Amino acid sequence: MIRRKELLLGFCVIAPAAIVIASVMFIPLFYAIYTSMYEIKAGQAPVFVFLGNYGRFFTDPVALRSLANTVGYTVINLAICLLFGVGIAILLDTLRPKVGNILRAVFSMPLFISPIIVALIWRYMYDPQYGFVYWLLGTVGLDQYFGGLTSPAWALVCVAVADAWNVTPFIMLVVSAGLTVIPEDLYEAARLDGAGPIRIVFNVTLPLLTKVLAVVALIRGTDAFRVFDIIYGTTNGGPANSTSSLSLYAYKAAYQQNELGYGMAIAIITLLGLILLFGPLMRNSARGKDDL
Amino acid sequence: MAVSPGASKAKAIVARTAKWAVIGLFFCWTVIPIIIVVTNAFKMPLDIFTKTPTFIFQPTLDNFATAFIKSDFLTYFANSTIVALTCTVFVLGLSVFSAWGLTSLRLRPANWIANAFMVGKLVPVISMLLPLFVLMRMIGLRGSLLAPAIAHVALQLPFMVWMLMGFMRDVPPELEQAAMIDGCTRLQVLFRIVVPVILPGLAAAFILAMQYSWNELLFSLQLTTFETYTLPVGIASFVGAVSVNAGVASAAATVTMTPMVVLGFFIQKYLAVGTIGGAVKG
Repeated sequence: MIRRKELLLGFCVIAPAAIVIASVMFIPLFYAIYTSMYEIKAGQAPVFVFLGNYGRFFTDPVALRSLANTVGYTVINLAICLLFGVGIAILLDTLRPKVGNILRAVFSMPLFISPIIVALIWRYMYDPQYGFVYWLLGTVGLDQYFGGLTSPAWALVCVAVADAWNVTPFIMLVVSAGLTVIPEDLYEAARLDGAGPIRIVFNVTLPLLTKVLAVVALIRGTDAFRVFDIIYGTTNGGPANSTSSLSLYAYKAAYQQNELGYGMAIAIITLLGLILLFGPLMRNSARGKDDL
Repeated sequence: MAVSPGASKAKAIVARTAKWAVIGLFFCWTVIPIIIVVTNAFKMPLDIFTKTPTFIFQPTLDNFATAFIKSDFLTYFANSTIVALTCTVFVLGLSVFSAWGLTSLRLRPANWIANAFMVGKLVPVISMLLPLFVLMRMIGLRGSLLAPAIAHVALQLPFMVWMLMGFMRDVPPELEQAAMIDGCTRLQVLFRIVVPVILPGLAAAFILAMQYSWNELLFSLQLTTFETYTLPVGIASFVGAVSVNAGVASAAATVTMTPMVVLGFFIQKYLAVGTIGGAVKG
């Protein structure tokens, strides 16, 4: 009797969230899968093409470019974020707690700025005539080698750096929290064994942070793979599609070129890419939680 | 280990200097872009478009006046506030209940449901955009402030539930059992025992939901109409024409980012603890 009451209560507390998630995420997902099998053009009846849109993706040079850009963007962005975020977290951990906390609060500021504003800010930074980046490079005479947002060779890196500015604090904060649970005696023991600070970082700190790093890489990686706002706000995919990401290309196909079926197919391919790249990491971190 | 005291002291000084140099550089990397946009907001066009950065200039409030009195940013500000608060209240309410239901009630399919929720986090937003647009128009919510709020709630829920579940697993079951023996009902246990214990997690959930909804662009862009634009949508309208309105865009950006940056400055520490929750307590 009590058990049945418990089940009923469980149903009542879970159902609202489940209904919201199902109606806003899963129903649209099924709709997207369904739509992705049709060729839809303005003013014409939809034609069932089954996997035709998916086949088209792999012969469309812009789509393949977007796929390569997305993977490249994710790698560059994750590398910068992890390097800066983990590095600064470890440095701040060596300071007196009060100083460290204040600096951590200052360094976390960019995280709370909207990606569209980040885009706006970095457009000023990268402005060829008045931008700070060009001025800075100009003081050491390097500005002529830097293409900024207008050169196909540089644009993707530039956007990835702008995005890294935005989200590095997240990694810093999470790694900082992870560092606080590493027992001090482990460092003490390593120091007694004669390990220098750099060896301690690589042989003590980083191995103990594996689980935390997996979680942040998962959260940040899935976000970077679906990047939209910051590219939309800085380059809108240009120049010459050099910064077109899968999400941006799907958006353009579906909403600007009115090829809804194709746009949805690209979105589904993005989802499959995410599962393929991050699925194993996700299963590992879920299993890690169960072990505790 | 055979280093003379003098050499090791010199080494320590070099290490200290290097450490502070890196921290100093990171400080510049963090604040310079913010300083540039904030000072641009107070500059006349003449002072913005200079070859070298200018730090001495005649400050002006013209840009703020243009953004908030002559155009509609005051309305957008109010809209964003309503959307973000509504979203936050619903996200917190729904995720507390369902995370508790999935951890404390010993339901058999709990794990399965939790995993299904997490798959929701992977769904690309682009594929949700149009169906949601159609859905909202069907039920007559398109153009209302409720439409982006609902979208933001749904987009946040999977992660929030996952995060709060991590916290609730750490609440000792004995605590809950003791309260039940003392005559608390299940729901009283939730509000009197579980919620106070997981307060840091709730703080993290609060700031995450709040800043996400305040800053989100894509769904707000699609689901609102001119009267219900939120701040990011208003700012996006500047993005096409960067040189013309640099001062006004900076003023709008400054006002938009200030509340979240200030809020974040004070409660950022909960964010980290909240995100990794049980994952670090090995």
